[in-house]
Amino acid sequence: MIRPPRWPRISRVALVIFRRNFLAWSRYYKSSVLLNFGEPVTSLLAFGFGLGAYIAKMNGVPFAVFIGPGLLAVTAMNAVTFDMTFDAYDRLNVSGVYAAMLTTPVTASDIVAGEFLWEAFRSLLYGMVFLLVLCLMGLVRSWWALMIPVPLVFAGVMFAAPALWVSTRSRTHEQLFYYFTLVITPMSLFSGVFFPLQHLPPVLRTVILLTPLVHVVRIIRALVLGSFPPHIAGDVVWVLAYTALLTAWPTRSLARRLTG
Amino acid sequence: MGNYFGMQTSTTAMAITVKDLRKRYGDVEAVRGISFRVTEGECFGLLGPNGAGKSTTIRLICGLSEITDGHIEVFGVTAYPGNRELKRRIGVVSQDDNLDPDLTVRQNLELHGMFYGLTSATARARTQELLQWMQLDSKLAEQVRALSGGMRRRLVIARALVSRPRLLVLDEPTTGLDPQARHLVWAKIRELKTRGVTILLTTHYMEEAERLADRLLVIDHGLILEQGTPNDLIERVAGRECLECQATEDETAPLIEAASPLPSIRIESRHDGLVAFGPDLDGMLDLWDRAGIRPASYYRRRTSLEDVFLRLTGRELRE
Repeated sequence: MIRPPRWPRISRVALVIFRRNFLAWSRYYKSSVLLNFGEPVTSLLAFGFGLGAYIAKMNGVPFAVFIGPGLLAVTAMNAVTFDMTFDAYDRLNVSGVYAAMLTTPVTASDIVAGEFLWEAFRSLLYGMVFLLVLCLMGLVRSWWALMIPVPLVFAGVMFAAPALWVSTRSRTHEQLFYYFTLVITPMSLFSGVFFPLQHLPPVLRTVILLTPLVHVVRIIRALVLGSFPPHIAGDVVWVLAYTALLTAWPTRSLARRLTG
Repeated sequence: MGNYFGMQTSTTAMAITVKDLRKRYGDVEAVRGISFRVTEGECFGLLGPNGAGKSTTIRLICGLSEITDGHIEVFGVTAYPGNRELKRRIGVVSQDDNLDPDLTVRQNLELHGMFYGLTSATARARTQELLQWMQLDSKLAEQVRALSGGMRRRLVIARALVSRPRLLVLDEPTTGLDPQARHLVWAKIRELKTRGVTILLTTHYMEEAERLADRLLVIDHGLILEQGTPNDLIERVAGRECLECQATEDETAPLIEAASPLPSIRIESRHDGLVAFGPDLDGMLDLWDRAGIRPASYYRRRTSLEDVFLRLTGRELRE
């Protein structure tokens, strides 16, 4: 038997799946935009300006300037993660959209590739709209911010992969919440979005440095502030390595679910 | 649909060859070694109670599931998951309406065509043509959620045809449809047959199998019980005619007893009476008269595929 390839294959068919997702999204984007921006913008206002009034500086910049790039990364991560958990779960288990695709020459690998392309786009779109919000609030300090699309595209694929894997492994909607409670929320709180890592206990700091979000946060913050601490090179390597490793993850699991 | 198939096919070409097929799910063997062939242009029906292995067999033929053992070829192409060449030749109408709920009627068909590699212009043209053919062209821009059950079913069939497949696989195509919708779907399936499309069909409706299928395979518990044309099966398994009557259990026993000198008569007890099959029903009635136990009311009728099906697969409920 021919085993499905581990790496998603980018093909013309993957672009058709991208198109499918775009058409589906364009029906809902209004409510979807509110859902994705309500929370981070509220956080920005509450923490940046409310809490920020009591904090003189964080790492040498006003608190709102500090957390802005972190919230941008979280927004991108959440936009991707919601889609690859609840929506992908429905396409797999409820509506049968993936099953219908599989009756055509589309393979599980194509589906994964198409979904990843789409999530790269979502990450880019939601991240850039958030960047615009930061610009309008005067929280962007450097023209380097124009480079932010690059890490966003990688972040989209990187966060899509584990979320899709979780969806292929979940038997109920409720199980998806565990991924948020145990992975996404703690990552959002401890990845240097709201405070730098340097005062955390060393063990916790090491654990956090092994997770993906912190590296995206640091890269985006460097681009927004136009200042590049020495660890940035390492962050870039982490993001590239994570993206490469994680993308190989869900294909076989999805294939197994669809062709069991 | 004008030039649905440009190709001319020889009548002896083999569309599907299934050899010693087995499929195991964990400890359960859903298909336990079945072999059959379907020739090109034929409408081939798979019959069997729930859990008999019909849908599993179909999934294996369509390359939607890993074969445990055995071999399947569809137009000379080996079936296994991920085989694009196989899937290009097959259009699938699955049991559940797995339409894309986030897309319109038109988008559902166009994107499906593009999954087969059609350009968007070709996909669009075929979509138009197929929706017209299925009398759904007025619903072009509607969301799929807004369609009735019958429309959804027709749309799933139209979708399966957008790639102009040589083999159309229909897994219970009319389950849940009202008679009007069912007759329309039947007419469309017959039309496809005249155009040379090979059709593989599963159904729970014996009338549907009798009307559409050229040949039938009856399977149960993953094994083949019988195969043949509908008429052949009826004649061979049930005989042409039968006699049915209502009777209590106490009345049934002497009736069966009285008919026992006739070896060609086969009597089935049912929940509320009996049915007698065999060529010599008149002889049986004579015997009943002589014993003075002819039932007050009975009726004779032609046998149908339903009798064949119940004879072969028994009467216990399958849940």
